[in-house]
Amino acid sequence: MKRRLIIAATMLVLYAVLMAVAWTIGTEKAAESTNAQLDYAVIDLHDTVAGAIDTMLGHVARTAVRHIGSAKPMSLERMAAGAKELDIDEVNTVDRSGRIIASNDPHCLNVMMAGDPVMEPFMKLTNGVTATVSQPFRPHARNPAMRAKYLAAAFPGGDGFVQVGLDERRLSRMLPSILGYIFDEWLLGRTGFFLCADAATGKLISNPSRHRDEASTLSEAGYDAATASRYEVVADGRHYGTTFVQRLFGEKCYCRAFVFGGHRFVAALPEREFYSARNTYASVLGVLLFLVLAAFAWFADRVSSDAERLRAFYAAEEGRRAKDLLLAETIQMAALPGSPPENPCFRLAAAMAPARSVGGDFYDHFQLDATHYAFLVADVSGKGITAALYMMTAKTLIKDAILAFRSPAAALDVVNAELCSNNPANMFLTAWVGVLNLETGEVSFANAGHNPPSAFRNGEWAYVPAMSGPALALMDGITYTPRQITLAEGDALFLYTDGVTEALDSSKTFFGEERLLNALKAVKPPEPSSLCNVVRAAVTAFEAGEAQADDITVLALRRLAAPRIYSRAFPPSIDSIAAATEFLDEKLSENDCPPALLPVLNVILDEVCSNIVKHSGASTFEVDVEFLSNPPSVKLTFVDDGAAYNPLSHEDPDTTLSAEERPIGGLGILMVKKMATSVSYVRKHGRNFFTVVKSNA
Amino acid sequence: MTIRSQIDGNKATLSPEGRIDTITSPELEEAVAKLPEGVTSLTLDLSQADYVSSAGLRVLLGAQKRMGTAGGTMTVTNVCEAVRNVFDITGFSSILTIA
Repeated sequence: MKRRLIIAATMLVLYAVLMAVAWTIGTEKAAESTNAQLDYAVIDLHDTVAGAIDTMLGHVARTAVRHIGSAKPMSLERMAAGAKELDIDEVNTVDRSGRIIASNDPHCLNVMMAGDPVMEPFMKLTNGVTATVSQPFRPHARNPAMRAKYLAAAFPGGDGFVQVGLDERRLSRMLPSILGYIFDEWLLGRTGFFLCADAATGKLISNPSRHRDEASTLSEAGYDAATASRYEVVADGRHYGTTFVQRLFGEKCYCRAFVFGGHRFVAALPEREFYSARNTYASVLGVLLFLVLAAFAWFADRVSSDAERLRAFYAAEEGRRAKDLLLAETIQMAALPGSPPENPCFRLAAAMAPARSVGGDFYDHFQLDATHYAFLVADVSGKGITAALYMMTAKTLIKDAILAFRSPAAALDVVNAELCSNNPANMFLTAWVGVLNLETGEVSFANAGHNPPSAFRNGEWAYVPAMSGPALALMDGITYTPRQITLAEGDALFLYTDGVTEALDSSKTFFGEERLLNALKAVKPPEPSSLCNVVRAAVTAFEAGEAQADDITVLALRRLAAPRIYSRAFPPSIDSIAAATEFLDEKLSENDCPPALLPVLNVILDEVCSNIVKHSGASTFEVDVEFLSNPPSVKLTFVDDGAAYNPLSHEDPDTTLSAEERPIGGLGILMVKKMATSVSYVRKHGRNFFTVVKSNA
Repeated sequence: MTIRSQIDGNKATLSPEGRIDTITSPELEEAVAKLPEGVTSLTLDLSQADYVSSAGLRVLLGAQKRMGTAGGTMTVTNVCEAVRNVFDITGFSSILTIA
């Protein structure tokens, strides 16, 4: 009996001691894990929101630079209209000396930025290299109670810059769209959530979907601002506050909070999620102790509870990552340009197949002016949402820079400087950027560490190895070397990313440049869409069921025979019909037009021009003569700025009436319609476009 | 535009050369108007005409009506394929007397 008592007492003591130890260790582990998750959450939240605002403001500033053109004085009204259109609070044009010479705010006019300690950093923009400068939110100069953020973009060559300002009130209107996704889709543990509220009023901007409509302010949600203020911080990209406890939506939560751009962001993790597991296991431990398996059970319990916690954490992480990847892929695909415009000088095709874990490939192409077309392929290092957001930034920067500088190499100088100046994640990208001169076939290009494209020239495919410099965002102050090649009519160029050449088969062999060249050689003629399809099919066949490791991007361009198109404008007088006839005859004869077409084209010209001259009320009209080769035909386009009039909308006159019954008129258009191979009419930009094609068939 | 005009009593022949379009039709119209009152048989020799636009058709229609009113006739001769095509499209083939 005595021994039993001793055993029982010993067991009881042992039980108490071990329970206390288990409780302490469990509590410590749970706190550590909670803290780590909250840390991860607030850093991600801050970086994503700040990144989105920077990207948005950068785009606004560069758009303003394009619209304003150069540092010149402009009226208050025009600047105000511009600010309204860009949905921004402040727009200032600053000249090279640092003086504000145009603004939507009369108080800003003539203010000197140079020498002002707050504004001085913007003066970097006049060095001709730096393209944009961003400042964090800081108290507004005339209304220190409010904070505002400024970002400026330079005019080409550093000849002054445009500064745009965003204040917290406007940010409130923009934030819900940025936050909607984060708050609804990001996971924080299993039951955690995020809140964002106006820092001054506490009004909630966005509620987590689970608690929607439960509260309209932070205090209604249960947030005790007085306690929280001891733990929260004003976010500066380095400090994210410390964990504190709040009762939110009736539940005890572990929280982190930071203030950014006039808003308070809170990440909250309910306590029960982490501590319920600990409590359950502690009880189980008690039972096991009574069975004198205490030590073993305790050990097993700790192992299993840790494993469980880790499993839960990783499951949550994986869910979040899957959603991030989906968003990243959406961003990546949405950033791609639409189909290239119909252009008789060239054809372009491009495609991108994102890998399962998304990389940062993208391509772009756009018209610079009537005779230049830009196209590019790029590959951002890294994967997932960060790479996708970085890709968006890079894409916007490159496009803006090419539109401003026109030379790919000069554009990359600026893009590189810009990317280097703000690259906390140490990302980089390779890019091949070309601008095709539609008249000469000259492609001026710059290659920033990208795979060499392949060119089809003189009937042969060969790689174009010329480099201009290293990958973008690696090293500041790089000057990229301008390069060029010339494409004759019928020549082609094929760009791709390393997802093509580094595709792996089951024996881990690379697809490689030789296989790529062979695939290209098989495509005759080298039509862009066929080139893209054939290469993608070749890579898929090579991988033979292996998972695609990286994004695969292809872009092909082929220069076509230059179109023979001639335009001339005429005043709307009877004499112009003779002049237009002469113009048509001259072009028909220069281009060896088949004689059978001459009378038909002359009649058509006569009918349409006399209609325009007599009835349209146009101030001018234009005749375009274009020679098409397949099938051989002549296309006449008549453009006038007169009253909207669709000649095809008229009923045909009755051609069976006798000479006496017949009214005069209405025949001209009938003749045009009957004699032409095809006719069409469109009204756009306040002008009538009437097009007639006559083929020699 | 050159228009050769040959008048022999009540018979007249007009031979326009080149294009009969918005610019040149007024000249042909004037040549028709200048024909003496007594002409009742008009021949339009189109052997030298390149083409006829609707403005030219208008003049042909006017000349046809004038001859009809005067109880006379108008004949169009030496029609090339391009002009024949225009006549067919517009139904003028059935209005005009084409020889």
